[in-house]
Amino acid sequence: MPAVSDRLLRYRPWRGDLQGPWAASLAIARVGLRLMIRKRLFWGLYALAAMVFFFFFYGQYLVVWIQQQTATQTVFFGGIPVKMGNLTKFLDRLHLNGSSQTFGNFIWFQGYIGMIVLALAGSVLIGNDFHHRSLPFYLSKPIGRWHYVLGKCLGIGVFVNLLTTLPALILFIQAGLLYDWKSYYVDHFRQFVGILGYGFTLTVCLSVLLMATAVSVRRAVPLIMIWTGIFFLCRVLGSFLVEGTHLDPRWRLVDLWNNLYLVGSWCLGTSRESLRPVEQPAFGEALIVVVIVCVLSLFFLRRRIQAVEIVS
Amino acid sequence: MTAAGTLNPRNVTPAPEVIDRMNTPESEPEPLLLFEQVSKWYGPLLGLNQVTLELNGGITGLVGANGAGKSTLIRLATGQIRPNLGRVRIRGTDAWDWRARRLVGYCPDTDAFYEEMTGREFVLAMARLCGFPRAEARRRTEAVLDRVGMRDRADRKLRGYSKGMRQRVKLAQALLHEPELLVLDEPMSGIDPVGRQELLELFRGLARQGKCLLISSHELEELEKLTNHVIVMARGRIAAVGTLRQIRDLMDDFPLSVRVEVDRPRELARQLIDNPDVVGLDLASDETGEYLVLRAKHPERFFRALGQCVVAERFDMRQLEPLDDTAHAVLGYLLGGSGKT
Repeated sequence: MPAVSDRLLRYRPWRGDLQGPWAASLAIARVGLRLMIRKRLFWGLYALAAMVFFFFFYGQYLVVWIQQQTATQTVFFGGIPVKMGNLTKFLDRLHLNGSSQTFGNFIWFQGYIGMIVLALAGSVLIGNDFHHRSLPFYLSKPIGRWHYVLGKCLGIGVFVNLLTTLPALILFIQAGLLYDWKSYYVDHFRQFVGILGYGFTLTVCLSVLLMATAVSVRRAVPLIMIWTGIFFLCRVLGSFLVEGTHLDPRWRLVDLWNNLYLVGSWCLGTSRESLRPVEQPAFGEALIVVVIVCVLSLFFLRRRIQAVEIVS
Repeated sequence: MTAAGTLNPRNVTPAPEVIDRMNTPESEPEPLLLFEQVSKWYGPLLGLNQVTLELNGGITGLVGANGAGKSTLIRLATGQIRPNLGRVRIRGTDAWDWRARRLVGYCPDTDAFYEEMTGREFVLAMARLCGFPRAEARRRTEAVLDRVGMRDRADRKLRGYSKGMRQRVKLAQALLHEPELLVLDEPMSGIDPVGRQELLELFRGLARQGKCLLISSHELEELEKLTNHVIVMARGRIAAVGTLRQIRDLMDDFPLSVRVEVDRPRELARQLIDNPDVVGLDLASDETGEYLVLRAKHPERFFRALGQCVVAERFDMRQLEPLDDTAHAVLGYLLGGSGKT
């Protein structure tokens, strides 16, 4: 066993200024991100997210290519001649055309994958700090309780944006390059803002909700069950109430994921007619529900944080 | 160091103008760690009861039975919990304030890390939490890993670490920012004998540098090797503070037992039997011959009288051994048990 050294008992004098606790929040975020990236369990979901991105990426390219290069040509499927222009009608349903629906759909899919990862990672990221009492390592350092919360939320936020906002922006840039970039970026500036707005909404809502649930239930299985309830069962319930029993579309407000989608669609400037399903509550109502969920989560967190005392 | 409790009550509640005066550059520096009439409840359970304590340097052991309040005191000192009554201050700053923790290093008794990380990554992450820029954080990480003897094993994942290696990594992260006050909760737990010796040397080195170490431990023998300055806790209160000898001397109700080997034990017994401080006397024998076991109150006065007697009567004293001023014995008296914590 190597001997404990006394040689380095005196450090080189530190002449710089220590960074404040906000910088420590960044360090906490980095640790959280590293943990999520390293979990091999999640690699399958990351691969799925990459597939969704490449589907949209090459889909946009394919649509433009078909429209511009081969729209007048005919191809044979099993000996049946099909005009290439008809093929794009099928692709039109997917809205792979750099419109607000393209980005709305893309973020919806990617966000869902991110949400599943967060449900699985919540206990590793936050719950274990409380459950296995590793919180003293953080809170014995010169940071406050809220710096810790901010750091964790930042980590979650960066993760969500890496899955949603960043690739959506890449798709936006690609769409501009595929079409007339000079006019596209100006004409579709609302979509640019909308991507940022949708990403911001997902970031804030998912991060505070994950913090609130992980702080209270701590373990992986209960956390997954709660998130399944919020994002899957409530979705099924909302659909059943509106489509099954033909109640007022406002009943769909119980579906938080749908509310996030509506807020995102509003940010992107999507028309109500192009929303799926068609019967939807108003954008403003969905926004109010999302804000209420965030405020309640923050209020709950505040109560928990004030009471965070590391007691075995 | 002073402490409220059975021995040295310290009722200090400075007026605001006094505090202002204390904070002026000309005044005395604030105590490094100050507990002022601190009480802490966990629901209906009283964890700490009106504790007043001041630490400024050196190594102080914190001992007491389970549930005596050691962990509560440590958590209050490191700002993990808040007192219900009184205040805990680090150099004048509330221990709950994050700024106070720039002066405190804490090595907790738990070893729940992120098992996926390597030891080096963990310590580096903790260095960034301390507020060091990347380059300085790396430099300090290497320095502290070297200091605790973990530099060559720091690239292994934490999940593969033994208990002793985990202890060393915990210690490393506590040393990162060169804290003035180092609070160590069971630092010797799980460390092999060679490693213990190394860590004892490290602690002594830190104390020589002027650091203040507060060490909670059940390993009384190890603690005795490190310091004889202890805080004894019982039922949420500080039962005693000081060196083991000082504490022992103040316990008049419990006579000190001393083994005395002289050339004429029976004659010495006759001489001492009239001494009012001697409350018991046994003549025993073993392979070395006969010897006396004396029980005496007021040890200081008794030892003075014994010395005078030995010189005056020209006894040839071969051995003088106090039998019960060990940490175990003192704790046994104070806590009403065997002394085992």
